[in-house]
Amino acid sequence: MKKTILSIALVLATGLLFAQKKTTTSAIINFDATTSIDKLPKAENKTAIASLDTKTGKLAFEVIVKSFAFSNPRIQEHFNSVGWMDSDQFPAATFKGDITNLSAVNFAKDGTYAVTVKGELTMRGVTKPVEAKGSIAVAGKTINASSDFNVKLEDYGVNGGAIAAGKVSKEPRISVVAEF
Amino acid sequence: MNRRYKKWILVLVVLVLAGAAAVWYIFTEKFEDTGKLKTDHIVNAVDFIKEFQTDLAKANKKYTEKVIIVNGIVSKVEPADTTVNIKMVDTTSGAYVIFAFQQQHLAEAKALKEGDPVSIKGSCSGGIHSEILGTEKIDFKRCAVNK
Repeated sequence: MKKTILSIALVLATGLLFAQKKTTTSAIINFDATTSIDKLPKAENKTAIASLDTKTGKLAFEVIVKSFAFSNPRIQEHFNSVGWMDSDQFPAATFKGDITNLSAVNFAKDGTYAVTVKGELTMRGVTKPVEAKGSIAVAGKTINASSDFNVKLEDYGVNGGAIAAGKVSKEPRISVVAEF
Repeated sequence: MNRRYKKWILVLVVLVLAGAAAVWYIFTEKFEDTGKLKTDHIVNAVDFIKEFQTDLAKANKKYTEKVIIVNGIVSKVEPADTTVNIKMVDTTSGAYVIFAFQQQHLAEAKALKEGDPVSIKGSCSGGIHSEILGTEKIDFKRCAVNK
């Protein structure tokens, strides 16, 4: 009986030690829709959840839309309004995808590896495919994943006068950094 | 010049100046220091998390975009690039509340350690059920240690 309990405990402990799904609750996502006319539509979200499965290459992000902090109160209000992110109706945005060239990454060896991520981004209740270049930096037990890509606001049903007037970029830049 | 025209030019100048002042105000307006804002609610972290777990929609309606003081114990100080976030976790469920700090209050956050009792004031961004973690999380932005 003691041996069985010990064996089960060992299996559980080994599983925990070599867990392949890494998570963080302090991933950073920057949103940059600035143009030459307007430098205000820019925000940072420092409390995103991210997960990375080092065995399967599955990568996921989850953010509360209202956590994007702008410097200007009116721009933030506008960002969350019905015509824009409609964050009362759609409080979260998510990304679920895979590293398509996982074999290029050696999680056991320090270094920076170029990766391609393919997946689906859901914002405002609309899901669209996204493909982005990024990098995975391994330093000891720490893994740092980062990527930049643009999103077409029109694809997610976001239009309006500010975009037409060139005050807000039609394709804002999204930068993602997660330390696992 | 005709007195009537002079009057209209004066009105026009006043309107243009007022418009310019309004635009300047809108574009240079910044969020105030959270530490100086009026508080809408004062809560205990464990009870606050439970409210979101019990009825997410109701809690979001009550707390989202409100300035709240949360009293609790620091469970984790998480690095977020050059800054840190403070977490208070309900150890029985794993649900948590996380605080991102205002630039001028970052040093206060960096001075905190796990196990410290603390009072944090911030703007509540609301809560969600995380599909990734399988539990509730509540976000705060522009926080300050409440003194």
